[in-house]
Amino acid sequence: MKALINRAAAVFFHHATWAGYWETVVQMVNPSWRDGYYQARVKSVSTLSDTSVQLILLPQKRWPQHTAGQHIALTVEVNGKLVTRVFTIASGQKSRQNEGTIRLVMRVKKDGVLTPYLSALSSKSATQAVSKVSVNISAPMGHFIIPNAVMPNAARLDKPESTSLKGAMPEQIKPVVMIAGGSGITPFIAMLEDLNSASSDNLQSLPIHLLYFAKENEHLLTDELAEHKRLNTYFTYELLCRQKDGGVEQLLDNHTDSHWMVCGPQSLYDEVANTHANLPPSNDVSLDSEHFAAFPVATAQTSAEKAIFSLNHNGSSLLVDNQQTLLTQLQQAKRPVTYGCGMGICHQCQCVKKRGVVRDTRTGALSDNAEQLIQLCVSQAVTDLELQA
Amino acid sequence: MITTINTDTVKTSTVNKSIVNKGQVFKGSNNHLNSGENANEQASQRASISTESSNTKVPNYSKLATQLDAVKTDIKSKIGSEDAAYIRRVILAQRACEWTGRILLMLGFIQPLLWVVGVLSLATAKILDNMEIGHNVMHGQYDWMNDKHINSKAYEWDIACDGSSWNRVHNYEHHTYTNIIGKDRDFGYGLLRLSNDFRWRVKNLWQFITYVMLSVMFQWGVSYHEMAAERVFFGKKKDNRKNQLSHAELKRRFFSKGARQLVKDYVLFPLLAGPFFLYVFTGNLVANLLRNLWTSTIIFCGHFTGDVQTFSAEDCVDETQGQWYYRQGLGSSNIKGGKLFHVLTGHLSFQIEHHLFPDIPARRYKEMAPQVQAIFKEHGMHYNTGGFFKQYASVLKRIVRYSFP
Repeated sequence: MKALINRAAAVFFHHATWAGYWETVVQMVNPSWRDGYYQARVKSVSTLSDTSVQLILLPQKRWPQHTAGQHIALTVEVNGKLVTRVFTIASGQKSRQNEGTIRLVMRVKKDGVLTPYLSALSSKSATQAVSKVSVNISAPMGHFIIPNAVMPNAARLDKPESTSLKGAMPEQIKPVVMIAGGSGITPFIAMLEDLNSASSDNLQSLPIHLLYFAKENEHLLTDELAEHKRLNTYFTYELLCRQKDGGVEQLLDNHTDSHWMVCGPQSLYDEVANTHANLPPSNDVSLDSEHFAAFPVATAQTSAEKAIFSLNHNGSSLLVDNQQTLLTQLQQAKRPVTYGCGMGICHQCQCVKKRGVVRDTRTGALSDNAEQLIQLCVSQAVTDLELQA
Repeated sequence: MITTINTDTVKTSTVNKSIVNKGQVFKGSNNHLNSGENANEQASQRASISTESSNTKVPNYSKLATQLDAVKTDIKSKIGSEDAAYIRRVILAQRACEWTGRILLMLGFIQPLLWVVGVLSLATAKILDNMEIGHNVMHGQYDWMNDKHINSKAYEWDIACDGSSWNRVHNYEHHTYTNIIGKDRDFGYGLLRLSNDFRWRVKNLWQFITYVMLSVMFQWGVSYHEMAAERVFFGKKKDNRKNQLSHAELKRRFFSKGARQLVKDYVLFPLLAGPFFLYVFTGNLVANLLRNLWTSTIIFCGHFTGDVQTFSAEDCVDETQGQWYYRQGLGSSNIKGGKLFHVLTGHLSFQIEHHLFPDIPARRYKEMAPQVQAIFKEHGMHYNTGGFFKQYASVLKRIVRYSFP
């Protein structure tokens, strides 16, 4: 029925969905309602440290249950513009079931797009008006979770794209080593919360060791880690600092019989993956990962130096440089592209950038890292890109 | 009945179009060779160019570009939540007008006045959808919002013309090559002779009637025209233009969008009204007609007033940004009016600003206009503006004037 109505909406009202056609009308009563998104009320905003903020959200009832370790896309309107960022949920199923809330922990960048919005929110929270603010969130996504064998709750999740190299036998409990970098601690905090509240002995007795790398004195949520250690005798952790404690490789030497889970910047993942690859083949280590490409520091000067980036265009990839426009390079590569004026007027060559940063050749302005429409004829690559025509 | 008229227009347009094409071929290829047959035309052209250049000084193009760029940068920094809220408000008003209209049409049996209000309401909704929402959103003016529905890729308007076909022809050909004879096919829509750049033909004698017909059927005219229909249906091809979509695909789009519009207004909603089928049927017909007349009139006032200049293909070879601005400015004309008038024209009453800055949200043109006018004055460029009746009279005069050799 719903499909039929949406079909009719597309045919006669030229909107992809019937709800989309009525969006502005619904927004009269419910300003943050958006077709295709879930809503969540902002319960509180608080500062964790100089560089990080904690956001407690109350998702609407029909929002699906998440599994500890999954992430969501958070969408807010900043000065008329919808800005979307992806965050790992830093809380487990328990707090959602008991209080209905989920928690996000985010690093605040000085000139980040979300920063002004968040600081406006935290000033509002002083006046208690914050609970009236709603944001849009996506359904929980991702497969970075404690392996099925030990988390029966997670068993219903299918894991088609999982990077997990399944080595563990289902009935055998294999110790877990969590390797976190910076704000990459968030999925592990969620997992620890759920492990501690789990009823099954099987889970309570899962040995877990956490290696947490961060800059000196910038480790997040250390109180909570201490609390988890107090509650769970099988959990141990080390707060590490690269300058003081060196790399991750020698620390992992003692844990070759474990399941490794790594979450953090690309560099940390690379290091762990290398270590994993260099282990003798007889070992029994499996590796699960979630890593974020660090947001590149792109400045106006970057364009002077020729650089090559990879471009994923409609699923197939090619290499592009930062000297010519994307349109020129796609044409040279004989890719099927629609185009027109070649000077940014006609929007013929417009396509959806799923991720990556581009420079507008007319103004030199850099784009956002998130999904948005770009015009190929006036865009140059600044980072690796993923496009969809 | 509708289909008959439609076929007629199609035929007329085909015949006239072929003349234009010959004119274009001639102009492009024989520019430096005076072939006897067309000597007269070239002479008259040169005469008109020289009179123009004698009373217009050539502006400092790079300064013009810097100044207009500055106006644009200044406005761009102001664009934000106000503009997002504005376009959502207009969409809300459109929904309100549309459904008030559609319901009142069915209530026409109680009191005919309700039907009249219904027609006006539905016509307003269609005008808002085409002008302030459709035209502007499809220009990419609101793409920065990252909204799923309000962006140039997703938006599709409520007229017979397929949005992506329009996007291709209007945004590309018309906005890039504004008023360049032979490249901007919007100049006269291939039906009307509006300057001496086209050779006179006997058919031009009754082009005023053609104009009235075009206005009445405007949505179909645009739809047909934007598809470069004569090339699709009758197999004409131009060497210098790449066919980016197959003809079959274009044909499919023309019929599918057009048919959907016909079914919606003349079958679906009338049937929903049950016994009041005819009330709704005629109401929709009148609403569509009012919309057609309004949009056609506003668009003609934007480019075909008496003082608007035309350009030749050579003018835009290696064109600088300043020269481009110059051509856009002189190829367009504004209409003065009140706030509501501007909204109903989709701010195309600020056609000059729209052509200079096609992807700035149109509601901002009003505050840019005084600055643009001052810059034009400084460079001795004619800022073509006037009241609605003055501009429209000048359009009609132009159509009549060029009916004759």
